[in-house]
Amino acid sequence: MAGFCFSLPHNVEPMRDSYGFALRPQHAQSYRQYASIYKEEEGERADKWRRFLEQTVKSSQSCSSEGKLEEISKAKDSDIKEETSSGSLSEGNDFSIRKSCEGTEIEEETSAERVSEGRDLSLEKSCEGTKVEGETGAELVSEGNDLSGRKSFKGTEIGEQTNLERQREADAETKEGKEGTVPARVSEGNDSIGKKSVSDGSTASSSEKEVHYLEERKARKVQTWGEIRPSLAAVEKLMRNHVKKAKKIEVEQTNGKYDNLPSIEESEHLEVVSEDIVGEKVCTKEMLDNSINDAREGNALEDNDSPEFHSHLKELETLVQGGVPKDLRGEVWQAFVGVKTRRVESYYEDLLAQESDSGERKEQDDSSGALGKWRKQIEKDISRTFPGHPALDENGRNSLRRLLIAYARHNPSVGYCQAMNFFAGLLLLLMPEENAFWALVGIIDDYFEGYYTEQMVESQVDQLVFEELLRERFPKLVNHLDYLGVQVAWITGPWFLSIFVNMIPWESVLRVWDVLLFEGNRVMLFRTALALMDLYGPALVTTKDAGDATTLLQSLAGSTFDSSQLVFTACVSFLAVSEARLEELREKHRPSVLVVVEERSKKGRIWKDSKGLASKLHSFKHDPGSLVEEMKTNEGDGMENAGDKSQLKSHSSNLDELLHSLNVDSEVDSLPDLQEQVVWLKVELCRMLEEKRSTIIRAEELETALMEMVKQDNRRELSARVEQLEREVAELQEALADKKLQETAMLQVLIRVEQEQKVTEDARRRAEQDLAAQKYVVHMLQEKYDKAMASINEMEKRVLMAESMLEATLQYESGQSKALSPRGDRIPSPRVEIPPPKSRLLNFGLGWRERNKGKPNNEEERRESQCNERSESRTL
Amino acid sequence: MGCSASLPERSSNQLGRGNSENGGGQDAKNLRVKLVLLGDSGVGKSCIVLRFVRGQFDPTSKVTVGASFLSQTIALQDSTTVKFEIWDTAGQERYASLAPLYYRGAAVAVVVYDITSLESFNKAQYWVKELQKHGSSDIVLALVGNKADLHEQREVPIQDGIEYAEKNGMFFIETSAKTADNINELFEEIAKRLPRPSTN
Repeated sequence: MAGFCFSLPHNVEPMRDSYGFALRPQHAQSYRQYASIYKEEEGERADKWRRFLEQTVKSSQSCSSEGKLEEISKAKDSDIKEETSSGSLSEGNDFSIRKSCEGTEIEEETSAERVSEGRDLSLEKSCEGTKVEGETGAELVSEGNDLSGRKSFKGTEIGEQTNLERQREADAETKEGKEGTVPARVSEGNDSIGKKSVSDGSTASSSEKEVHYLEERKARKVQTWGEIRPSLAAVEKLMRNHVKKAKKIEVEQTNGKYDNLPSIEESEHLEVVSEDIVGEKVCTKEMLDNSINDAREGNALEDNDSPEFHSHLKELETLVQGGVPKDLRGEVWQAFVGVKTRRVESYYEDLLAQESDSGERKEQDDSSGALGKWRKQIEKDISRTFPGHPALDENGRNSLRRLLIAYARHNPSVGYCQAMNFFAGLLLLLMPEENAFWALVGIIDDYFEGYYTEQMVESQVDQLVFEELLRERFPKLVNHLDYLGVQVAWITGPWFLSIFVNMIPWESVLRVWDVLLFEGNRVMLFRTALALMDLYGPALVTTKDAGDATTLLQSLAGSTFDSSQLVFTACVSFLAVSEARLEELREKHRPSVLVVVEERSKKGRIWKDSKGLASKLHSFKHDPGSLVEEMKTNEGDGMENAGDKSQLKSHSSNLDELLHSLNVDSEVDSLPDLQEQVVWLKVELCRMLEEKRSTIIRAEELETALMEMVKQDNRRELSARVEQLEREVAELQEALADKKLQETAMLQVLIRVEQEQKVTEDARRRAEQDLAAQKYVVHMLQEKYDKAMASINEMEKRVLMAESMLEATLQYESGQSKALSPRGDRIPSPRVEIPPPKSRLLNFGLGWRERNKGKPNNEEERRESQCNERSESRTL
Repeated sequence: MGCSASLPERSSNQLGRGNSENGGGQDAKNLRVKLVLLGDSGVGKSCIVLRFVRGQFDPTSKVTVGASFLSQTIALQDSTTVKFEIWDTAGQERYASLAPLYYRGAAVAVVVYDITSLESFNKAQYWVKELQKHGSSDIVLALVGNKADLHEQREVPIQDGIEYAEKNGMFFIETSAKTADNINELFEEIAKRLPRPSTN
């Protein structure tokens, strides 16, 4: 046990998480990220739990006897102190309490607590401290039994002690006398626990006491039982209903033990009963008590705290979903599984004792039998269980080995199945060895009944159920997986079988286990798996082939560090997945699995190829001899010891078992008979029908998958088409936009052009106006010109006339001068003076006319007009 | 009876195969094959896979519960690639009832035994028979004797392995996941023996 305690985080090598489990290198980063979140959550939940426990303890006081109120609250205080001392194990706590309370009073106090957490409310009142003292003492001592020391002890003291304990429950008075011897043992036992937890008997720290109680030191090797801390009594009580149910089943089966019920519980109880005749009485007494309790609980609990009880249970459920605090986890789990209720005194030691007996003598011939096979397998797997975990040192491995072998002996219908090594390892990390054993018994026998047996029927059934649920919840995802050719069970099978150990990060595993153990069934497996699918489905549907899908799902699941998200998704989103619904679906799918299993085992028997059943038969044949042999030797011992009746009894149970096996044997022997064949054919027919049905279903599924594919295909085509059209539209729109741009550009150009046109028009009009004005002017000028010309012509005529007149005059004058020459000197001079102006005027007029002939009109007109004006003005 | 018993099996096999072929882009150059490893517990199935896929060897590997999956792609000399989708199954006998789930539709089955354990060799023969009965008809079978590095403790003569493999039309090789001996050769040889899809 000492080896199995949580190693403190700072002791841990870099690649391990705070639980000491190996961390995959690719997850180291995300783990570091989440480590702080975990720490924070841890703090919160520690507070919540403390509050809850205080509250429930207070309310439970109301139903326990009044006198103890004070004591309990005192104990509570000390308990809270313990809680604050971090990471200490329950045993350490018990030890510290016990150690510190040397006085009988305080011992009474602790025992009072025990009583309050005890099974029997009615007895509680009558049996005061001393009596319960007896119980703890007896327990410890009987636990203290060593393998080797057992035989000598068993007959005398232990038998008595167990009896005492049982009797004590029935009858308080008888105890009183023995009390004297008991306290001494108690303290011894306590010391040994304490030392064990400190140093596991290493010589350095062993005190004188250890030397004194050398015998007890031997005992310590198997000293493995630890009580749950008192503060959790309330939780245990709340869980009693769950556990009661399980217990009742056991009781029923015990009652039917003479009917040869082939159940493991039977053999267990037979052994219990066989321990002692008184033991048997006690057992029946216990049953009675239980039934009384049930009835009483119906009254007491319902009467006293029914509303409170339910509100507490509800509150507890919420708390559990939020996670159990690390340092309470081991004990809370025990309360959930009902370790204390399940425990049968000295049963575990007996199993181990059988082992050490047979280990010496049957080694050789047993190796081919089932037990030998399991032993071999366990041996192979011990070192492969959490390899390198700091707690799995030599002692840890030995505990693990003992635990697994004891379980294999306890329940031969399961024996040992790979995966149990991990469960056992995990439980051993959280609790003492025997507690772990009973927890494992609870989990495998009860929660996972039929899961880890030779044929693993329930495991296969659950996979079919899960597939149906998944199909219901996530049809698209399943269709996609179908399309890729991935079977969900490939991946989820290992998830279920390992209860997620090694499949998801440890924090998440523990959180899932919290809820699973609380609920007492496998519902949480389904919810968690569905939650994982919910979380990772969207990623999965993007995968392109089976390999990628599987790899992705595996690695995503492995990185589910957000444990709170996982648990809340599981518990909230998939609340509708209930045990009743699962049971219904299991009923539906079980026949098909059974048929296949049947067929397999038939083949195995006929062809003797499969060693499965063949080896079973083999072991059946082998066992009788060895058992009888064992019985003989034990009988010899039994003569010496009064208590050896138990051995006899246990062998009688073995004989019963033997009878069964012989029955099975004869069944097998008569295999080829006709009736068998008819049955076989019927089964075959059933199977074929089933096959046919499943084939049809499969075909339908495929068809729907195909339809879906076609639809998807169509959709894809359509979407492609739409895309294309959209692209075209986009193009067109672009073109349109271009055109529009162009248009506006054109418009602008046009506008400009128009404006220009207008401008030119204006200009033209102006020009026209100008022209018209000019024309008018021209016309006017023409008229003036004409007039001027006419006047010029007139003037010319006049000039001509004047010239001709001048000539005539000249001629007349010359004629006269010739005639009158002497007198002519004086007269011609004035006359010569007059002509120059006339000729000048004449010249001017002729010259101007000639000059104008070669020049443009305008100029001519202008000049003409000017000239005309001038000439006119002159003429005027 | 045997006939009627095997009929539905075959049909389900075909379904399985049909499915697996549905999923992949199978062409002549890029093959995708489902491979399953079977064999007794502790013979080193997981170690072989880990050596092949990650090139690691961990002497303290974990127990495989149910099965675990890994994939690895290799390139051959003729420039084809083969993607192995490897299902590594749990070795304990009772997990055999879950094995059909994994070997159904597998193109390759690698049956592993430990050369230092005669029992594991017997177990291997059981698996070969099981596969011949219930596996796909064209499944490629390989028989692997692992832990070849422990030859001083050898219990199964190499000749026995060779003969048994020959008799059953299997490919035989002795490997050591610890020293990586013949691990890649094993998978390359398997890849070469795969039936190639017709190129069209």
